[in-house]
Amino acid sequence: MKKILTLLMICALALVTGCGGGSDSAGKLSVMLGSNVVSLDSAKCTDSASFEVIADCIDGLMQLDADGKPIPAIAESFDVSADGKTYTFHLRDAKWSNGEPVTANDFVFAWRRHCQTADKYAYIMGNTVACVKNADAVTKGADPTTLGVSAPDPKTFVVELDAPVSFFPSLMSFPTFYPINEKFYKSLDEEGSYGTTPETFLSNGAFVLSDYLPGAANIQLKKNPDYWNAAQVKLENWQYQVVTSSDNALTAFKNGTLNVVGISGSQIESVKKDTDLMKNLHSIPSGSLSYISFNQDAKNNHGGALANVNLRLAISNAIDRESLANNFVANGSKATYTAIPIHFAPNAKTGKFFAENQQQFAEYVGFNVDKARDWLNAAKAELGKDTFELELIYANDSGNTVVKVAQAIKSQVEENLPGVTLKLQPMPKAEYLDKLTTNSFDVAISSWVPDYDDPMTFFTLWTTAGSEICEHWSNPDYDKIIDDCTTGALAADYDARWLAMYDAEKILLENAVIAPLYTGSNATLIGTNVSGLEFHVAGVNRVFKSAQVQ
Amino acid sequence: MRKYVAKRILMSLLTLLLITFVLFVLIRIVPGNPFPVERMSAEMILQKRAELGLDKPILEQFANYMTMLLHGSFGNGTSLYNGAPIKPIMLKCLETSFRIGVLSILFGTLVGLAIGITAALNRGKFLDGFCTVVSILGVCIPSYVFMIFLQYFFSYKIPLFPYFFDPSNFLQSSIMPSLSLSLFSISAVARFSRNEMIEVMNSDYVKLAEAKGLYGFELLRRHVLRNALIPVVTVIAPLVVDLLTGAMVIEKIYGINGVGSLMVSAIAGDGVDYNYVLALGIVFSALYIGVMLVLDILYGIIDPRISLTAKEAA
Repeated sequence: MKKILTLLMICALALVTGCGGGSDSAGKLSVMLGSNVVSLDSAKCTDSASFEVIADCIDGLMQLDADGKPIPAIAESFDVSADGKTYTFHLRDAKWSNGEPVTANDFVFAWRRHCQTADKYAYIMGNTVACVKNADAVTKGADPTTLGVSAPDPKTFVVELDAPVSFFPSLMSFPTFYPINEKFYKSLDEEGSYGTTPETFLSNGAFVLSDYLPGAANIQLKKNPDYWNAAQVKLENWQYQVVTSSDNALTAFKNGTLNVVGISGSQIESVKKDTDLMKNLHSIPSGSLSYISFNQDAKNNHGGALANVNLRLAISNAIDRESLANNFVANGSKATYTAIPIHFAPNAKTGKFFAENQQQFAEYVGFNVDKARDWLNAAKAELGKDTFELELIYANDSGNTVVKVAQAIKSQVEENLPGVTLKLQPMPKAEYLDKLTTNSFDVAISSWVPDYDDPMTFFTLWTTAGSEICEHWSNPDYDKIIDDCTTGALAADYDARWLAMYDAEKILLENAVIAPLYTGSNATLIGTNVSGLEFHVAGVNRVFKSAQVQ
Repeated sequence: MRKYVAKRILMSLLTLLLITFVLFVLIRIVPGNPFPVERMSAEMILQKRAELGLDKPILEQFANYMTMLLHGSFGNGTSLYNGAPIKPIMLKCLETSFRIGVLSILFGTLVGLAIGITAALNRGKFLDGFCTVVSILGVCIPSYVFMIFLQYFFSYKIPLFPYFFDPSNFLQSSIMPSLSLSLFSISAVARFSRNEMIEVMNSDYVKLAEAKGLYGFELLRRHVLRNALIPVVTVIAPLVVDLLTGAMVIEKIYGINGVGSLMVSAIAGDGVDYNYVLALGIVFSALYIGVMLVLDILYGIIDPRISLTAKEAA
């Protein structure tokens, strides 16, 4: 008995200590990730955590500088044809982490594969965004070789577009457009194994993965010595730590385990009381817009009352957005009265943000209880009803903020609009998305993070095809403007396109298709010894290429 | 004996098949899609469902799934990790959870026995009361609360252990989660071993041994512990499965890449990954059924008073 016990204990100890060894994290950058990396396959990933880690390791044709302007990355330079529909990128000498050169064929392969396999991001190559020739057809099953991309020689990558796209160079910094080494990809044995371990992933960027597993809470990266711009990279080793609780993250920041963490609005008060900690607090605009989506399908669950524009306008104007942003979100987010978030999409000529004038549509979006009640009375008369009971759905697994926002909206709407009741329906995100796509909701709290630095990243959400997924609204005038601005007559005329987008926004807001709420912000604690971090409102939000820890 | 074992194995396999079928059907009833559907049109969703074979009749889907299982594969993820094969990822996570689980079983059994034996030997005295309070606390305090407590005091206040799990420093990183996980088993083992010890100590054969002049540690080792510890195995066995299959909350809090957090990711992502949930559900069930089967058979071998054939006859 004694021998067996001893043997068992020795075996158990050997088992648990099998891969022991120390690690020294002093002076090392440790960054909080709020959620797991879902995929390191640039063609398939859809979440910001995955995009960020991919961008740490892979360079696309272009990258964004600290001010968000596109600058060359793998492309040393590019030429644009006179009609703006052909881009020729000249690639620099760059290497993959297995020593092979980065070639134009790596882009051709990755782009074709994206069109063939992508789900959520399939649209980004197509005619609402990048307008790559034949992308929509290839997405629907056409021959991938018909995609408008080619590699006349290993150092030249040519893209043909269906229409000029003014923000095309900036779009090239988005991970969906990154290259994948075809030979390496095809050498992997099993379908789907690309990017699941450091061995099944190739870098051509600033860092290589040194430890990663799908779902890993800890991701280790190290400097890529073969990076074409290795002199810019100061970090030798650093890591991500997935922490889903902001309380846990704050404590880890305080004891020095993490150097960069995101905190919630409710934690800011406690941080402000600590003068040392306050020095680390930064409010970083995220470029996201939180808004209310109204389901306008006449056949939806509650009799289609929201097909009535007056009811939608009443609800939109019964919400005190300042109070919502300052008292409930409270992380630096700004009350927003436009369909495009503040601090986003600067005009290339004037430098002014698209939504700089927040009073532009004050007639339709604001906090005015008297006007809201007038609209409500009009809705009651038109619909022949005195009471409206509506279900407000929201995903409650992404933190406490949305829960507080939902409660505040309910309280404000019910207080300001007698007869309107909002029934709160919190649910996990998978169920929430299911409700949206199956058209089984009345009102939803939505949020959209821009993929690229142009208002169109938002406007395409509400075209007839776009809003079929959520708001079920259709307006031919609006659709025409969006078509004109993407592939039509205005695509090549920067100023006319810019002005036309305001016309589209007016149609959107006078119809109260959505009720904008606030432009998001990330309250972030950054160690005082950390410098060189770059933050962007669109695409990849955080860039660590130039980061360093003193 | 052989007939009994064969019958038990057959019953276990049937139970596992039934569980697999129930899980297979249930996961398809749960609201949500098996992949993220944000900004996907109804047409795209249908196309993707067809690609995954979800448009076929459920029995056909089940038959296909069983064929795949019998070929030793759990398939590919439907939403997680770009549809990579599940088996290698799950095995890696199982390995991590197993190693922490083994440590917590060791903690739980050794500390639990020490408390139980101390309490039994000091029955009615202060130490007995103290041990009882400790074991009640162990049952009452959820393991993740204890984990937060340990993390706060022994990582934040006194930095003895890493604040988050560090795979490159496995042993040091495993101590706090293993201790937290073992809290319940410490209590269960302590209470059960105390009661068994007291019962055995009051039995006639122990009194006879005492009358014959045997006392102290020798009496304890030869007569009391041997008889008292056999029933304790029945308490430990089901706990073993719980501990080996990870702890969802603790893994999330401490950043452990184990099966518990894998299950949470599979359920709580933008899509419910059917194949991961099924694979993990089947593995957990198989472990539980397997441990109970082995325990049942071993019980007859450890304790000769139990006759498997008699059981069979009954």
